[in-house]
Amino acid sequence: MVNDGAPDIEVVARVLGGDGEAFGILIRRYEPGLLRFATRMLGNPDAAADAVAESLVRAYRHLAQCRDPGRLRSWLYRITGNRCRSHLARRHTNDISLSDVPAPALADGSDTWAVLERGEQVALVERALAALPAEKREAFVLKHVEGMSYEEMATVTGARIPTLKMRVHRAREALLAALEEVVR
Amino acid sequence: MSPIDPRLQEALDAERDPGHLPVDLREAYALLAAATQVLKVMPPVSVASRVMAEIRQNPARVESDGPARRLIRWLGGGRAVTVRLRPVWTLALAAGLAAVLVLQWPSDGPTPGVAQGIASFVGHFPGARSVEVVGSFNNWSRGMLHLNDDDGDGIWHANAVLPAGQHEYMFVVDGENGERWVADPLAGRYVDDGFGAGQQNSLLIVRPVSAQP
Repeated sequence: MVNDGAPDIEVVARVLGGDGEAFGILIRRYEPGLLRFATRMLGNPDAAADAVAESLVRAYRHLAQCRDPGRLRSWLYRITGNRCRSHLARRHTNDISLSDVPAPALADGSDTWAVLERGEQVALVERALAALPAEKREAFVLKHVEGMSYEEMATVTGARIPTLKMRVHRAREALLAALEEVVR
Repeated sequence: MSPIDPRLQEALDAERDPGHLPVDLREAYALLAAATQVLKVMPPVSVASRVMAEIRQNPARVESDGPARRLIRWLGGGRAVTVRLRPVWTLALAAGLAAVLVLQWPSDGPTPGVAQGIASFVGHFPGARSVEVVGSFNNWSRGMLHLNDDDGDGIWHANAVLPAGQHEYMFVVDGENGERWVADPLAGRYVDDGFGAGQQNSLLIVRPVSAQP
């Protein structure tokens, strides 16, 4: 019986050895972050749950193809990112439909961030994020929400580090412009 | 949208102390940091039970793929047959298959819409208990598109109405040696499957019926 605190590489070996239930440990470990990542990418919690569920099932079935179980997190994010891209491609756009993201109900443009209610803050930020192109949105979320290094982001996305830095910088500019337009 | 000050970018990259930024940049830094905190909230949902149920329902053989094990599996299992032919024979085979599949398309089958087309799947999997297709068109879900081998000759086939466009897919072959995910050796086009191990999905381009002569 492998315990919940066992390193990824040990849990993966357990699963590959036939203990399918041990995969539950990996789900508990990475599901919250994957769901958050997919939700930010797709702008829709139901679609995100579907993408993550499909990704985890595929990850289980292809676990033997994970070349470096010590970097399992990157591998799982890569699969989930691919599922999100497929989902967006099926909608014939890389962008989130803004109709999926509720508009913030702000009284006027003179509010400051501090006086906004929590729900208003969430709506404002989610809408600003949704307005970004998918590549910039993905780069910003991986960097600032999931806390990844540029090296890990390169593993997840397959993009080069200078490209990722540029995407993050452009995403920051667009987000800041969108936020300042409303709360300054 | 205008470029933001490089000092702010450096602070956001943890390469500069944000406390040493000018006041206006410090405010911008705080605004972006606050927005990030909003995005860090975890969604209050879980798919764990759903995923584990799927895994238990369709337990797959999940093994390490060592060279010896791969050789044993290859020798002992049913496998897709790839026939290398001269280009002229490849064309002839494709034309023959297309003719057979068109002739076999049932007149009472589902009728494609304007933006749909008919996809034909065929593979040689002797000894397989079941063969199905999973792909981007069915969210890689099992149980939705099964191939048939009514005469037991090991040639499995199915037709399906799919949205026009490009689709990725794999065969899932259940044989004596368990379940295998197999790329279609007749697909001709392949793309990286995104798992980072150099494996490939088959690629299918469905043309709308409206574009067919």
